[in-house]
Amino acid sequence: MITTARIHLRPVLPADYLRLYEIENDPATALTWRYRGEMPSLAGYEPALWKQTQQIMVVEGRDTGVVVGYLQLHDLDLRAGHGWFSLYAGPEHRGSGLVMEGLMAFTEWAFGEWPIRWLYAHSFEHNVHSFESGLRRGPAQRLGVLRERMLVDGALTDVHVIGIDRDAWIPSPLRRRFNLLRNRRI
Amino acid sequence: MTNEQESDAAAGWRLASASDIPFVYELVTRVDPRWWRFSKGGLEPAHVLASTQAIAAGVIVYNGGLQPVACAILTDAGTSGTGTLEYFALPDESAQALARAFAPAIVNAAFKGATIRRLYHERFEGDPQILGEMADLFEVEVTYPRFALVGGTLETRTISVLSRERLDAWNAQTLEAMAP
Repeated sequence: MITTARIHLRPVLPADYLRLYEIENDPATALTWRYRGEMPSLAGYEPALWKQTQQIMVVEGRDTGVVVGYLQLHDLDLRAGHGWFSLYAGPEHRGSGLVMEGLMAFTEWAFGEWPIRWLYAHSFEHNVHSFESGLRRGPAQRLGVLRERMLVDGALTDVHVIGIDRDAWIPSPLRRRFNLLRNRRI
Repeated sequence: MTNEQESDAAAGWRLASASDIPFVYELVTRVDPRWWRFSKGGLEPAHVLASTQAIAAGVIVYNGGLQPVACAILTDAGTSGTGTLEYFALPDESAQALARAFAPAIVNAAFKGATIRRLYHERFEGDPQILGEMADLFEVEVTYPRFALVGGTLETRTISVLSRERLDAWNAQTLEAMAP
């Protein structure tokens, strides 16, 4: 578990599944997230949630104890030394910064506990703004854009490929600041 | 005409079948670890076989002696109208030359055989270039720096794409150039 001033990042528990299901089932994003409008039933959710997934970490608000979002580590390729992540934020917490704080904690956790050099993520054009701050501030890089890659809600959309390089993350000012604040404010 | 040229005159390509699996496995081992789909999890045969599940179609390039020398597969052909071409030849110059020669026909076949708008091709920087005249038509869209260890070096991997429009323009230009 990683604790910061505002959040806990911890492994998911079965008791969290209903909340995760609510987050993914939000009509505002259901079409542009993983299932693209074809959510599994609640009964079939657990195997769908864990498909190709090595670990799920939830982001819990410290003040409220509410799960505000979650991150998945999936499709690990230990021969290459990389893994993919997906990030989901609850509708009422988007823009609060809590889940992006969770992403920093997740990055620290993943590079600290898995033998990987890179974390990658796909982001549809609709959602890529979530990464813009990380792209501007350093350790995240846009590795490219797959133009008109996916059909989402009847329209072709670009898919951005984001990468976080362990070698860039470890010495980054962003990480130093994150850990400084984390230690100071806990 | 040399013996090699004579024998290459009978070379060609055909659709792959289940009886080609032993050749594909041998090819994977000969280029290991460059055919990443198969090599990334190691070469245990059952694992390699399981990795063929996402393959939509495959073709075999054969030499004048009808021996297989290269294999192309189309994967991830989905509802979005995209697919991925994976194309590997035995690591010798004659096999790679045949692969280059048949690349335009194989790429055209991929677009004709499936409703594809955009065809992706992934490669390590050190992979032999066997797309022949097609190579320059593919445009790089994603670069993964230092992707994986190949022969002791972290090689970069790219995803490039060929659109149907770009291929159609190339085909028209090629036909025009061949006209009397």
